[in-house]
Amino acid sequence: MADALVVRNLNKRFGGLRAVQDVEFTVRENETLALIGPNGAGKTTAFNLIMGFHRPDSGSVSAFGREMVGLRPHDVCAHGLARTFQVAKPFGGMTVLDNVMTGAFLRERGPKAAREKAREAIDFVGLSSRESTAARDLTTIDQRRLEMARALATQPRLLLLDEVMAGLNPAEVDQAVALVGKLSSRGLTIVIVEHLMRAIMAVAKHIVVLDHGQKIAEGSPKEIVENPEVIRAYLGSGYAQSAGAAT
Amino acid sequence: MRLRGRGGIALGVGIAVMAVLPLVVKNAFAVDICIRILLFAFIGTAWNLLGGYAKQLSLGHAAFFGLGAYTSTLLQIDFGISPWIGMAAGGVVGMLASLPIGWLCFRLRGPYFAIATIATAQVLMLIFLKFRDFAWGAEGTTIPNLGNAPLMMQFDGKAPYYYIVLCLLALALAITAWVERSRIGYYLVAIGEDEDAAEAIGIDVPRVKRNIYMISSFLTALAGTFYTQYIYFIDPQTAFNFSVSIEAALVSIVGGIGTLWGPLIGTILLETTSALLQSWLGNSIGGVQLTVYSLILMAVILWKPTGIMGYVSELTRRRRGKAAGS
Amino acid sequence: MAQAVVNGLLIGGVYALVSIGVTLIFGVVKIVNFAQGEFVMIGMYISFFLFTQFGMDPVVSLLVSMPVLFVIGVLVQHFLIRRVLGLNDLPQIFLTFALSLLILNLALMLFTANYRTVHTSYSDEVLHLGGLIVPVAKLIAFVVAMLLSGGLWVFLHTTDLGKAMRAASQNRDVAQLMGINPNRVFAVALGIALALAGAAGSLLMPFYPAYPLVGQVFVLMAFVAVVLGTLGNVIGALIASLLMGIAESLGIQFIGADSGLIVVFLLLLTTLAVRPSGLAGGRRR
Repeated sequence: MADALVVRNLNKRFGGLRAVQDVEFTVRENETLALIGPNGAGKTTAFNLIMGFHRPDSGSVSAFGREMVGLRPHDVCAHGLARTFQVAKPFGGMTVLDNVMTGAFLRERGPKAAREKAREAIDFVGLSSRESTAARDLTTIDQRRLEMARALATQPRLLLLDEVMAGLNPAEVDQAVALVGKLSSRGLTIVIVEHLMRAIMAVAKHIVVLDHGQKIAEGSPKEIVENPEVIRAYLGSGYAQSAGAAT
Repeated sequence: MRLRGRGGIALGVGIAVMAVLPLVVKNAFAVDICIRILLFAFIGTAWNLLGGYAKQLSLGHAAFFGLGAYTSTLLQIDFGISPWIGMAAGGVVGMLASLPIGWLCFRLRGPYFAIATIATAQVLMLIFLKFRDFAWGAEGTTIPNLGNAPLMMQFDGKAPYYYIVLCLLALALAITAWVERSRIGYYLVAIGEDEDAAEAIGIDVPRVKRNIYMISSFLTALAGTFYTQYIYFIDPQTAFNFSVSIEAALVSIVGGIGTLWGPLIGTILLETTSALLQSWLGNSIGGVQLTVYSLILMAVILWKPTGIMGYVSELTRRRRGKAAGS
Repeated sequence: MAQAVVNGLLIGGVYALVSIGVTLIFGVVKIVNFAQGEFVMIGMYISFFLFTQFGMDPVVSLLVSMPVLFVIGVLVQHFLIRRVLGLNDLPQIFLTFALSLLILNLALMLFTANYRTVHTSYSDEVLHLGGLIVPVAKLIAFVVAMLLSGGLWVFLHTTDLGKAMRAASQNRDVAQLMGINPNRVFAVALGIALALAGAAGSLLMPFYPAYPLVGQVFVLMAFVAVVLGTLGNVIGALIASLLMGIAESLGIQFIGADSGLIVVFLLLLTTLAVRPSGLAGGRRR
């Protein structure tokens, strides 16, 4: 299995704040990696750096063997990476179909082909009944589905999902988890930022934990849950000590 | 916007009327108004590509208008080259000028983009005002009247001018209709909605902006040549006049920003209002026309920012919704 | 050359009043007020009429023009600006732009394009300080402008309302969470900004003519100063205005009488080209 994404020595400061510090991880092809950590840990910044929305101060991001640092986001997307945004950014005035078609146009030249590919993506996420609805009229969860469909329409090999499950009820979470599973079975490599433990456990075998911009743990779900550093980051040192004593 | 049924008939009638108008209407003043309507609808449609679809709200399109006007006039008076060729050359000059202007202005968003575009048009005006050596300075020049000289774009009577500007408008509308249905159209609207999201799905935002700016400026420059030939006069104040920039944006906003027919509808409304005002009040009181325009603009902004065409779409959607029993 | 610097500095003080208003509105309300120049014009006409009807000195008429414009500012915020908050660029840009066109052309209709001037006892007087000629009227304008700017600074840093405005300017969401009423804060911001514009107008009357288009010149200066001084930064706008006054004056001195405008424009375009990252309006991270 080849490496889909190799992140090395990633660093980014904003003024006095070191948002991302010496972060490193590797994602194999078709793997699903979960990137977790308390709020403000630098997860979304890491996404922004990988996709080219910010330029890292130092470090390298290599996707499918090509260096991504220095590329503009649209080039990164052309190389096979797509992302969803934490707060959905639909093209509000366009319909669902038009939104996804805009994504499909990256790989398809003509409107007819783009429309077909768009319909496939819309169908995949379960939004077919809403095809002609204006994006701004969608519910939050449908907007998330739209984000995903639009990203899928660019035919990515690696998908960055930023908190797609935030604010969903348990039934919706199950649907989202199933969707992620479907994507993985299609061969996609996925990096998912999430807070919901049970969702993470269900989709990811490989977890990276960030806190204050630094990687504090990496491993399987079981290893992460028992890691005192992780416990300390989320719950404070009191819990970490007791966990350490238990192991 | 797809036009079916009643809309299609209206369009057909409209085209037929526009096609025969100067043959039927003999009143020169009325034909002149129609020419102005078509001209500003043309400029507005050109502006709309950039400002309406991609929401890059330029208030400096007069820059291209003026560059087109001066290019063809200079070629004509200094080298005897026909304004037909001069018009094309002016278009190219405008298009090329959009590259550095775009490079400068597109680094800014929102109001600062608008201010920068205003500034570039003003700088050009000031340059042409100051340097009389190459372009007659502040006094400008008249175009020597050659009587009826079609090869030099001069005609007796208004009808030929009417048909020229009608063709220009048709060209701009055709380009807009094609853009709307094609990849670049979707990309423009995406950029207008959310540039970051557009980048994230692989849209080369700067390149798309550059390309549409080139088309928009090319067309606007053609208008400059036409106008100069029509009024037989050019000077910096006229060629780079801020009101050209304003009206280009205004007719599109009032008529329906980002729609195919918006600029034409907006122009018809605003220019007929202006003509009526002129006939009631004469030209004695300065500022009346723009006062009325600004009131209309404010009304549109506050109550129906999507303009007339936006309102029409809303009505059709509501009617369809009721019919479908939703 | 020192003379040119002094001249520039003095007029820069007036530019400062206009640009501080623009930057205040931008910082607090996040809207670019295209009509700021027209409010300067209103201030000028108010002072003109008070002078011709009642013989009131323009500087004294500040006491009238400032409150009147404050009230206008509150009304503008309440009836117009409030409607377009939170909408995208188009309404926000074109609303104040339309307002600017409206006021300008109404003035054209009501007052005609004629220049109106005011001649006070000190309009022509000058002081001689160390070899430099300092026109009294301009000096008064400068001093009052600085006093008003200082007063604003004190207001922003010591009063609760002022601090609320600074908070809203820096982080609107947090400010709202802390119980600051945005509409009230915005109304005061508009009121203050327009009052400063009106003050600028009154101060200008002894040595500058009033005419409908006068606002356009000053608003242009204001925009450049605001951009140079960083958007939303009051002190930045002040310093930038003074520098711009000096730059314009030097331009007139060394390049030519009508070069002032082109110097300003080129300064604007250069700043935008070279430092867009300092401006909220420009990004490439």
